[in-house]
Amino acid sequence: MASVFERVRDVVVAQLKVQPEEVTLEANLVDDLRADSLDIVDLTIAIEEAFADTAEIEIRDEDAENIHTVQDIVTFLNEHGVN
Amino acid sequence: MTRALITGVGAITPIGLTAHDFWSNLRAGESGIGPITCFDASDLPVRIAAEVHDFDPTHYMDGKESRRMSRFAHFAVAAARMAGEDAGLDIAAEDPSRLAAAIATGSGGAIETMDQMEVMRDRGPARVSPFYIPMMAPNMGACQVAIQLGLRGPALASVAACASGLYSYMEAKQLIESGRADVVFAGGTEAALHPLPIAGLANMKALSRRNDEPKRASRPFDAERDGFVFGEGAVVMVVESEEHANARGAHVYAEVAGGGLSCDAYHITATREDGSGAAEAMREALKASGIDAGDVDYIAAHGTSTALNDASETLAIKRAFGEAAGRMAISSPKSMVGHLLGAAGAVGALTAVMAIHDGIAPPTINLENPDPACDLDYVPNVARKMEIRAAAANGFGFGGQNGCVIFRKPAV
Repeated sequence: MASVFERVRDVVVAQLKVQPEEVTLEANLVDDLRADSLDIVDLTIAIEEAFADTAEIEIRDEDAENIHTVQDIVTFLNEHGVN
Repeated sequence: MTRALITGVGAITPIGLTAHDFWSNLRAGESGIGPITCFDASDLPVRIAAEVHDFDPTHYMDGKESRRMSRFAHFAVAAARMAGEDAGLDIAAEDPSRLAAAIATGSGGAIETMDQMEVMRDRGPARVSPFYIPMMAPNMGACQVAIQLGLRGPALASVAACASGLYSYMEAKQLIESGRADVVFAGGTEAALHPLPIAGLANMKALSRRNDEPKRASRPFDAERDGFVFGEGAVVMVVESEEHANARGAHVYAEVAGGGLSCDAYHITATREDGSGAAEAMREALKASGIDAGDVDYIAAHGTSTALNDASETLAIKRAFGEAAGRMAISSPKSMVGHLLGAAGAVGALTAVMAIHDGIAPPTINLENPDPACDLDYVPNVARKMEIRAAAANGFGFGGQNGCVIFRKPAV
């Protein structure tokens, strides 16, 4: 079973069309992965859908404001029961 | 006043993914119509269309950009890039404020609306794509061409149903003549293949139901015609000022001589049966071009393969061109590529331009048994080599919008 990070990485690669090796835990979505505000909304929707079979998660706007890096996504998922 | 010249051609069509492939297949009488493959059409009364196959948007833009635009914009960007390359234009060396886009469409990214409605219904409003609006908006064909190519002059997007594509060449000519732009990427684009518009058009009885013989379904001016065939694609041509083209030694395909517009002001879908509205647009085009009716050797007809259009267009051509109508060659590209709606006028324009350039009138295929009401020379089934000094492209839209643009051989 792929780790949470690996699953997040796959979604990020698919949505932002970046190279897998760019998607490190430290990578900043805007500065390193060239996402704009629309990409981040699109990415949060894709994350919700990708993990829908594991847990019913909802990334609210106030949650999204605290998501800056790939690590922030993984942490959010861990805190919502995805491990 | 400077002249507006066509110096580059680009196209994504059901019969070719370049303008030159389109043109060689059009001359050869190849049909691009087949069974619908992009969705399950089994419960629809119409199961055929003119689809674009094997198109990969990432050949023309990066993958991330391609995710943020609808198929109609993909087609426009691809056709515009090819037109720029064909023109030998080094965009990076140009003043970007002198470069413009005029890309028309019939329905823009309507397929995004249909898809996102389903997302909202099935998964809730929070899952609706943040890219929905900028993908759907009909101005995005022009704006994505501007964004992707770096054109910072005006970006125009006419919406005139099936006449749309022709408006772009009139706008381009005005931008060049007024001195506002040196180069205009002008054309039309359409990609609305989805069960909903097929169902709507089928219920209007506008579409051919010749499901078992797709390549014979679009048969303009034939007695057995039973409607048009829904298609998708884009045509973009580079329209350039004479000074700018000469300064860089550009190859010139043709000149945009002039265009005319009118509205039937009559019915939401039916054309005036006497062809008077369409004739008005053709007469205006002749007047604007300063060309005598007898000097137009070819017409890329609207020729939809509907009972009403082909008969009324025939009357309209006779009204506008008088006795010269009987001497000109007329053909319908729709017999091969189907009806590209908002891009159809641009397909006609490209056909007229290439007909002038190569001295060839492409055929109207499937014209086996001409309708007695359609008694002009429609170049049945086989292309014809002939001198073409000037050629017109016709386009008539639901709502009664009529357009005609005339191109002519460039002066040497």
